[in-house]
Amino acid sequence: MGSHSKGRNKSYDYSFKILLIGDSGVGKSSLLLSFISNLVHDLSPTIGVDFKVKLLTIGGKRLKLTIWDTAGQERFGTLTSSYYRGSHGIILVYDVTRRETFTNVLDIWAKEVQLYSTNHECIKILLGNKETERAVTREEGLALAQEHKWFFLECSAKTRENVQQCFKDLTLKVLEVPSLLGNGSAVVKRQILAQKKLDPRSSGTGGCCS
Amino acid sequence: MEKKRTDDYEPGPIPSPRPLDRFGFVKQEPNSSPDGLTRGRPAHEYEREEGRVRKWRKMIGVGGSDWKHYVRRKPHVVRRRIRKGIPDCLRGLVWQLISGSRDLLLMNPGVYEQLVIYETSASELDIIRDISRTFPSHVFFQQRHGPGQRSLYNVLKAYSVFDRDVGYVQGMGFLAGLLLLYMSEEDAFWLLVALLKGAVHAPMEGLYLAGLPLVQQYLFQFDHLVREHLPKLGEHFSQEMINPSMYASQWFITVFSYSFPFHLALRVWDVFLYEGVKIVFKVGLALLKYCADDLTKLPFEKLIHALRNFPEDAMDPDTLLPLAYSMKVSKRL
Repeated sequence: MGSHSKGRNKSYDYSFKILLIGDSGVGKSSLLLSFISNLVHDLSPTIGVDFKVKLLTIGGKRLKLTIWDTAGQERFGTLTSSYYRGSHGIILVYDVTRRETFTNVLDIWAKEVQLYSTNHECIKILLGNKETERAVTREEGLALAQEHKWFFLECSAKTRENVQQCFKDLTLKVLEVPSLLGNGSAVVKRQILAQKKLDPRSSGTGGCCS
Repeated sequence: MEKKRTDDYEPGPIPSPRPLDRFGFVKQEPNSSPDGLTRGRPAHEYEREEGRVRKWRKMIGVGGSDWKHYVRRKPHVVRRRIRKGIPDCLRGLVWQLISGSRDLLLMNPGVYEQLVIYETSASELDIIRDISRTFPSHVFFQQRHGPGQRSLYNVLKAYSVFDRDVGYVQGMGFLAGLLLLYMSEEDAFWLLVALLKGAVHAPMEGLYLAGLPLVQQYLFQFDHLVREHLPKLGEHFSQEMINPSMYASQWFITVFSYSFPFHLALRVWDVFLYEGVKIVFKVGLALLKYCADDLTKLPFEKLIHALRNFPEDAMDPDTLLPLAYSMKVSKRL
């Protein structure tokens, strides 16, 4: 993680908590690493939870994202469930090359979100990772996302395609929900300025689809 | 000393084989010293090391024949020597002696082979998915389907069949991987059994059973110990909403083998196998104590980063372990 030598005075307008969930081995930690550091290399499985911070400016707002990366193996549910609380955004990740990781989004992860997430307006993105030898079509992903009113995106932690886009879209969406800005972002509560509107069906494979 | 070793592998400027540390891990950056051993050791330390090995050989006898006798007669000498670190060349053998795994192996001939060859496990795919992600920077485990990866798979699969309630849980691979660097598959398997089933100390299986009951218990106890031993830091943790599940789960689940420098993990394991889980609490507390002044100044985000990235000097076994031994935790456990 980069060091921020800005001292302890708040150097951001909002602080958002983002959660990464999904089956073991779908690439949650790789996505996070790719987003944070431009690095791509072999990672060990996450035991329990891991966590990274990223500062970025979007739509004129200085934001601090606190991103919680969770262990995907079901057995760790007792350790990870408490981290859903207070999330502003949740990224549900599956591996487009392994169909069972996609079906588990519905069978396991959507249920976990319902059970443990406390912000009902919390923004969710369904994220299909990898994009080689696919077993789940883009259309299927999009359909599942639409059914649940999640946003949808496909990306690759390996080539880093769409990784930045995912976090950016998620953050922009969080910024559009007044209730999310109120709770959790215990920072300068400025007026929410008119956000640069995000076109739901922009740029082909690029943007989020609602 | 370490430099000289790598020179053997890397003659001149040819960059082909990547430099390894003395345990066989690929070095992250050539000029950093993740294992903290780059400082040259003076000659008299080598002599001392040789002397220690001689003492240890005498203590364990041929193939471990004198061990039980010695432990019964002089348990404190054994404890003291183990706390100083088991000589690396004898580590595998001594681990098997102190964990009780040697006895299990002798009592169950052929069982391991049976489990590996004839049984199938519901966890096979989960295990396979993690094999290449376990100690990925160690030369033994790097080759796809190589001997390291195969033996790791066999041990984990055998265990998942042996104990179907536990099956396979992420983190167990690091235990098995660490053991496999010091002993055969079958020996590693029985040591895993000895630990999880509690041959000598309290069984560890609760760390991996559904609901992770023992992890929950240990984290709860650790939280109390932090408040008791380091009240100021404990108070700061409360204010910043930090709890041990954010940083210490993997300490217990993998006994420090997941993300700590390998030479430190080995020293912790020496003591862990002889004295039990208390050392995990003690080392955890010692880490916090050593860094307490810095930690109490940090806000949430930096705190949680610092709790996963302890400074190199804090992770020097010869600094950390004496501090750990001085922590009193017995009443609580």
